[in-house]
Amino acid sequence: MLKADNGTLMAQLRTGRGLERWVERHLRILMLAPTVLILLTLTIFPSVYMFYAAVHKISPNPDLPWEFVGSGNFARLLSDGQFHVALRNTIIFTVLAVTAEFLLGLGLALLLDKYIRRLTFLKTVLMIPMMLPPIAVAITWKIIYEPQFGVLNEIMFRLGLPLQAWAGDANLAMFSIIVADVWQWTPFIFLLMLAGLASLPVEPYEAAALDGASSWRQFWDLTLPFLKPVIAIALLLRVMDALRLFDLVFILTGGGPADRTKVLSLYVYQVAYRFADTGYAAAISLFVLFATIILSTWFMKRMRLAE
Amino acid sequence: MATVTTMPTHKRSRELFVRLSAYLTILVALVVTLFPVYWIAANSFKFDIDIFAVPPEWLPRHPTLKHYDEAFIQRPFLRYALNSFLVAMGTTVVSVGFGTMAGYALARFSYPWQWRKQISFWILSTRMMPPIVSIIPLYLFFNYFDMLNTKSALIIAYTAFNLPFATWMMKSYFQDLPVELEEAAIVDGDTRWGAFLHVALPLARPGLAATAIFCLIISWNEFLLSLIITLTEQSQTLPIGIAGRVTQYKTYWGEISAAGFMACVPIVIFAFIVQKHLVRGLSLGAVKG
Repeated sequence: MLKADNGTLMAQLRTGRGLERWVERHLRILMLAPTVLILLTLTIFPSVYMFYAAVHKISPNPDLPWEFVGSGNFARLLSDGQFHVALRNTIIFTVLAVTAEFLLGLGLALLLDKYIRRLTFLKTVLMIPMMLPPIAVAITWKIIYEPQFGVLNEIMFRLGLPLQAWAGDANLAMFSIIVADVWQWTPFIFLLMLAGLASLPVEPYEAAALDGASSWRQFWDLTLPFLKPVIAIALLLRVMDALRLFDLVFILTGGGPADRTKVLSLYVYQVAYRFADTGYAAAISLFVLFATIILSTWFMKRMRLAE
Repeated sequence: MATVTTMPTHKRSRELFVRLSAYLTILVALVVTLFPVYWIAANSFKFDIDIFAVPPEWLPRHPTLKHYDEAFIQRPFLRYALNSFLVAMGTTVVSVGFGTMAGYALARFSYPWQWRKQISFWILSTRMMPPIVSIIPLYLFFNYFDMLNTKSALIIAYTAFNLPFATWMMKSYFQDLPVELEEAAIVDGDTRWGAFLHVALPLARPGLAATAIFCLIISWNEFLLSLIITLTEQSQTLPIGIAGRVTQYKTYWGEISAAGFMACVPIVIFAFIVQKHLVRGLSLGAVKG
């Protein structure tokens, strides 16, 4: 680490001008301050404001005063069936989508590790889905899932399988959302796992091979432990993203049919803007915020990511 | 290392099997990855009647630019694209500008009471905040200051999650640079700020470019915040424009395909520009590809 004071002192001796000296002396504060101040304004202010909004009943009519209700909005969380449905759907989506993406991504990376390491072009092509605007991904899958003229039903027809309504079918809607999400985000896991595999040390494997360890044993005892930090980061980022799912659901199902795909983000949006119940929406968002904080902290502690 | 000639036959055929299945997997992965992208492009060049064709028309038989005319000439998608572009540029300039300085400070300077670690971690945690959490206060805030339906409001909102990203990315790039070059510059009479400006910054240029492009992509793709903050043509972004053509009564397939495909094109170009930085960018600097 560079000793900032050395440079500062020498610079002061040489330049001697007031402002420049002051800037030099406080450089470490000055360079960091704008970012910290901006982020404080953009995160602390909303959070405090949300607490304030969450303990009030806010009428859609802006001329009416806010009515203090204390913990009333939070009590509603306990009895609100819609909220429970949204929470359940979010958990189902997150667990299934991230698990599928992880297994597929890791599997592909393990299989292709040897063959794709230097093929940057091919890798970039495989990466395209996750860079695309989620709205564009959503309409693409909307066209594919379309029951009358969609490609998926054409494939079902050719295979002699029954045609489905996909995103419009209560039992398949969540599955359809998950498939689109897996299409978009498996490349993310795949890419990170490839990077992790490329940085594995060679010696332990040579030693293991000498000891006659099977490739299965090598995978469990060497590859997985070495990959653990990368896996932890990949899963953390994916889970955080899955919990905030909105765009795909908004376009593909709008939360239906029969609320089967209504996730927390969408529910907050509906409560806030369709039902104009801002106080209660703030209470739900606070729940989401705390759940996210607790989950990510737990995860980072567990995976020792704090550094 | 065993040569091919000494390798037992069963081992060789197993190797061949793995190799073949690897190539086959790559092929399948490529088809699955690219087909949806191809399909939206193909549909955007078809007449409505061909979009609805059963069985689907795999190649547009009568290619047309009709939907591009509808979207970008007759309807305000050009305006939406311009808004998206301006907002993305604004956000990127603000985020990369401040984020680079903060990233440098966190990579190089020491702070009392472990502040370096604490502040880094806090900045990262703001990135984890789900956008749905901030929509209500942001909406009320922009409403209060009469800033709803403005591009400035979008830039402010997007900065909230691009700035932590830029800070972490630049921190990781600066940490990779050898500190000795800056020390030498200071010994030669440069100021501390001068060493950052004249030595560290030019060396970090590839990282800077990659970070900027990622910020552009993130802002270009954003949907939820724009949905809340903007209601007028003058400020709405491309994703909002697209979503607006999926209505309860009718979905304008051709139009949204054309606009959707056009929204994807710059992103694909960007992806190729930053291909060497993808891993680091996607893991906020945590994994170095």
